[in-house]
Amino acid sequence: MLALRLVRGTHPLVLTRRLLVAAAAAGVGFLLLCTLGYAVGHPERSSASVLRLLWCLLPLAATVQFAVAVARTDPSTRPRPGLSAVGLGPARLTAIAAASTAVACTLGSTVALLFYLHLRGDITGLPFDGAAAGLLAADQPVPLAAALTLLAVLPVAAATAAGLALRPRIAPAAPEGVEKTVPSGLPWGVALVAVGLAIETYASRSGSGNGLPLPGGFDGNPTGVLAGWALTAVGLALAGPGLAHGCGRLLQAVRPGATRLLAGRVLMDESRRIGRPLGVVSAVFSGLLAASRLYGADGGSEAFGPLTGLGAALILACTTATLLTAALESRQGRAHTTEALVRIGAPPTVLRTAALLRAVALLIVFLPLTWVVAELAALPLRG
Amino acid sequence: MAPPDNDVLWARSLHCALGGSDALSGVSLGVREGEILAVVGPRGSGKTTLLRCLSGQLVAQQGEVWFNSAPVHTLGPAQRERLRRDRFGWIDPESGLVPELTGWENAALPLLLRGTSHRAAKTAAVEWLERLDIGGCARKRPHALTQSQRQRIAIARALVTTPSVLFADEPTATLHRADGAQVLRTLTAAARSHGITVLLATHDDGVAALADRTVALLDGRRVAAVPPATGAEGVAACSLSV
Repeated sequence: MLALRLVRGTHPLVLTRRLLVAAAAAGVGFLLLCTLGYAVGHPERSSASVLRLLWCLLPLAATVQFAVAVARTDPSTRPRPGLSAVGLGPARLTAIAAASTAVACTLGSTVALLFYLHLRGDITGLPFDGAAAGLLAADQPVPLAAALTLLAVLPVAAATAAGLALRPRIAPAAPEGVEKTVPSGLPWGVALVAVGLAIETYASRSGSGNGLPLPGGFDGNPTGVLAGWALTAVGLALAGPGLAHGCGRLLQAVRPGATRLLAGRVLMDESRRIGRPLGVVSAVFSGLLAASRLYGADGGSEAFGPLTGLGAALILACTTATLLTAALESRQGRAHTTEALVRIGAPPTVLRTAALLRAVALLIVFLPLTWVVAELAALPLRG
Repeated sequence: MAPPDNDVLWARSLHCALGGSDALSGVSLGVREGEILAVVGPRGSGKTTLLRCLSGQLVAQQGEVWFNSAPVHTLGPAQRERLRRDRFGWIDPESGLVPELTGWENAALPLLLRGTSHRAAKTAAVEWLERLDIGGCARKRPHALTQSQRQRIAIARALVTTPSVLFADEPTATLHRADGAQVLRTLTAAARSHGITVLLATHDDGVAALADRTVALLDGRRVAAVPPATGAEGVAACSLSV
């Protein structure tokens, strides 16, 4: 109840972030229900249904990541001395964070269910009644238990992940500004990217040469290609912090002025927080680029259905929003340092230029990287 | 009305309301060049607000502030910010260092912000750190230092530009007495040797004893002297009745 009550007094911007989580949850819920509809309508094509369900995992993972990022930046889940004194300590705040995440995701799932039933024609009285009755197997009854189970997956997963991410640590938190060790994931990330690309190449050779099948039109055995791409994505996410740290190190090297010094050092310290979602975004973009190379070339209009588009848009929006939320979290964490800087007369232009410099440095490194990985991924599949 | 010529900083009937209560009501003040002026008063008496008004961080609703015979209260935010950066220094009760930068980088930051070259800024900052007996902290980050070392780096950061006026808002509030006294002695000695005017807000009479002159504030007004704190109410009556 407290989680709901806190929602009432929340700033509109925070509410917007939660609504975005709900919207993403609605999208994922709708995709899952459509998979269910396909499975009910085509009981003979079970492997195709499983493939559709597997493809739903990617938007699901992206949404969970976004929900956790939003829960981290939520002001109502931050420890406050006054609340801690009345007994609302870190453990209760974690419960509140998990509860509000679950509420947002359940809201989205409910909307998805209503929309799905509406498009099937089960709920009437609005425009587009039963507009997709044929596609969603309206002649068959909805298996209610299955639908509810599918819809419960996201709220449970997101609430658990948020609770785990914000759980109170036994060890006291390191004081602000502790020199963080250099992120060690870079070699592992590079190795995983290489292994992923190799697996992708190998698996695509054994296929029938029609490329990676999307849910619209499938053919052959795509598991190897998908696993290869997933390894590449994990590798990029692992390499992200190391690359961001390197960017920061280069920025502050060789007699820096105030702007470069602030930009570089902050990027070095925030490299974990920013680098990981940046690596994920880079992986998603390279995947999309590779896919558009593959299917755009031979006019793959049957490969890209509306649901594929919805899934891709969800993944893209969620990962980008996660990156922006991480940047916001990093800015919130440095608010009082910024205040002290302003008090000694640091012009806001210096702070803004430092932020811009960080963004440009990251773009310079990650854009070519994304492009190269996309090209390498698309190369064997086209041949 | 123009301010007197020998005052480096001059304020007339400042009225400032903060958060629904009058933080300052009709405070006038003149600060002479090179003096150390203590602003004393209990918590909530308006010391910090007065310092923020005088340094241009805050514009009073009524009243005037003049610096070197030029008005401060009519300047825009950008000009006041430049004034703060170029002519004023500021020390908080909390050091407010940038956690990602080392000791000397923190101390050199105001010079770097002004566009001084890296080498010159480093030389000046390290010199000031040596002068304040914390030369060994130059390469360490703030988290690895003690509170008093951090506070001294904050003092070095405020002094490194040799400002005209240094505003010190309870600079020793978070320190132990011995540390606090030492920090304050280094601060006043450095200010006197460089002819820097210091405004020192404090609630501690011992600290105020280091100053040339004292101004007392109570509930946002200037008073002759802060009345001494009385004992707990009723204590005397009880002891009589026994």
